[in-house]
Amino acid sequence: MSRSYRESQHAIVRKLVTYFAFFCLLFWVGFPVYYMLITSFMDSHELGAKPPNWIPSQPTIKNYREVVVGETAIRGAHSSHGEFSRMMPALLNSAFVSVAVVFSNLIIGGSAAYAFSRFDFRLSRIVYLGVLMTRVLPALSLIVPLFIILRKLALINTLWALILTYTIFILPLTIWILREYFDTLARDIEEMALIDGATRWQAFRMVVAPLAVPGLIAVGVMSFMEAWSEFFFALTLTNSLTYPPLLMSYRNLAQVNWNGLAAATTIGVLPPVTVAFVFQRYLVRGLSEGAVKG
Amino acid sequence: MASAELGKAKAQQRKHWDRKWIPYVLLAPALITIFVIILSPLATTIFYSFSNIDLIRDRTTFVGIDNYIELFSSRLFWKAVEVNLKFAAIVVTVPTLIGLFFALLLVENFMGRSIGRTLLILPWALPWIVVGLLWNWVVNAQFGALNGLLYTLGLIDKYIPFMANEDWALVFTALASAWRQTSFSAILLLAALQTIPEDLYDAAKVDGAGVRARFRFITFAWLRPTLTIVLLYNVVLGFLQFDAVWIMTQGGPGDATMLISVLLYRYTFINFDLGMGAAVSNVLGLITMGVGLIFVRLIYRSHTTYA
Repeated sequence: MSRSYRESQHAIVRKLVTYFAFFCLLFWVGFPVYYMLITSFMDSHELGAKPPNWIPSQPTIKNYREVVVGETAIRGAHSSHGEFSRMMPALLNSAFVSVAVVFSNLIIGGSAAYAFSRFDFRLSRIVYLGVLMTRVLPALSLIVPLFIILRKLALINTLWALILTYTIFILPLTIWILREYFDTLARDIEEMALIDGATRWQAFRMVVAPLAVPGLIAVGVMSFMEAWSEFFFALTLTNSLTYPPLLMSYRNLAQVNWNGLAAATTIGVLPPVTVAFVFQRYLVRGLSEGAVKG
Repeated sequence: MASAELGKAKAQQRKHWDRKWIPYVLLAPALITIFVIILSPLATTIFYSFSNIDLIRDRTTFVGIDNYIELFSSRLFWKAVEVNLKFAAIVVTVPTLIGLFFALLLVENFMGRSIGRTLLILPWALPWIVVGLLWNWVVNAQFGALNGLLYTLGLIDKYIPFMANEDWALVFTALASAWRQTSFSAILLLAALQTIPEDLYDAAKVDGAGVRARFRFITFAWLRPTLTIVLLYNVVLGFLQFDAVWIMTQGGPGDATMLISVLLYRYTFINFDLGMGAAVSNVLGLITMGVGLIFVRLIYRSHTTYA
């Protein structure tokens, strides 16, 4: 009897510790995000309140409207360009760049990964290691020569400069994860298809690709998020064409509209956050396949 | 029968013929673009670091290792190294420890676990630049969330200008980076925790192992390879972080948050001293390549053990 008493006491302590830890997690993740959210729904005069209003007293979507319509409608016909007039075009640019990077990355990286996984060719191991090593190069350090090359190709201040650069900087990760993924798929069915007279392409399309869909989704989602988030190249290779450097430019204005900035930030993180939540399973699997099993 | 034999031989022949050129064709786009966009700029950067580049007169002179000598004897560089080491210490330890804590929590069975798992992904889904902005809101001296919280709780009666203080500035820029990286670390550790077979614990219980022994010999032992990878990822981030720090402090106040990457940016884009900038890049590159090499070696070791 004393034993069961001890056990139930043990269970209660365990519950308490668990919920305390859960509260820590909620606070750690939620606190900064929550504060940005309430700021985005506040009027500017409410911002400096001391102590702060943890729940906005008069929630407003004014800030969001300013960002979405670029403030033109609010200030009237006289000011044609509001503070946030570049935001929506930048978000569209970000979307275009990110989607393009997903596809180019899957095609180029996928075929390279397949080559590394299925063929023994000269120097394959060295080349593979070399490709992986490029992942840890500080991208910052390549910017000057890269700028010169892209200027020769007449790509400076175009979205293509970003698509090209992002695709290539994400390639090592893609090749790494997909190669591991292809390696886990049995070769026998593929070999059988080949003996039955299928071409390599047919074997890939009908046997390997369908089985590799989860890996392809994981890599696609990861490259979308990287492309959406990239800041430094977008800042130096273009005139703030995409979302991250534009956000930075609002931060550096002499008179920062913090509430508008909070709304702009919230709108801009919706795509990567949504994608991450929807594809949660694939992402976690892709991340751990790539990072842990290596 | 003869025709079947012939067909087989033909297929074999074709397979052989296939193997010769197909991998090169499949690899070509990746290798060519990596060469143009990464390797040739890398070679140029190495060349720059041994040169003095006069942008105004458009003249490049070879100066040997002068840039490196100047760099290693400058106070600024060693300041950046010192700042970066402190920064990296926080970015390595905080995400690893808190990430492990969250992973251990989220493998437990309790109400709210799936909410916890979803929320865990949130910081990792945010761009670095947004992470920097969020933490700007946290530490701001006029309307910051942290000041607000401390004030609401009655712990302070005057808002503290955290980012005007050199030590706090370094701590909070590092914490901002650690915040996002904690999620990444926890995701990896949680994934590894979920693969531990339950019967290992049962067997240990039958053998009379206590909670502590079970943690040490099963949980921790199982997590070790993942922990190593997580640590290395965090080390690399500790040296390559730029975005979040740049939006929060731009290296200031003074040089308090001047990471090596920030120094690199200053030389290249503010002083337009491309030679020195390149020298800093190569030093930074060597540091991360060193870490990367350890990384790749570990991967190959795990291959030979498990494959």
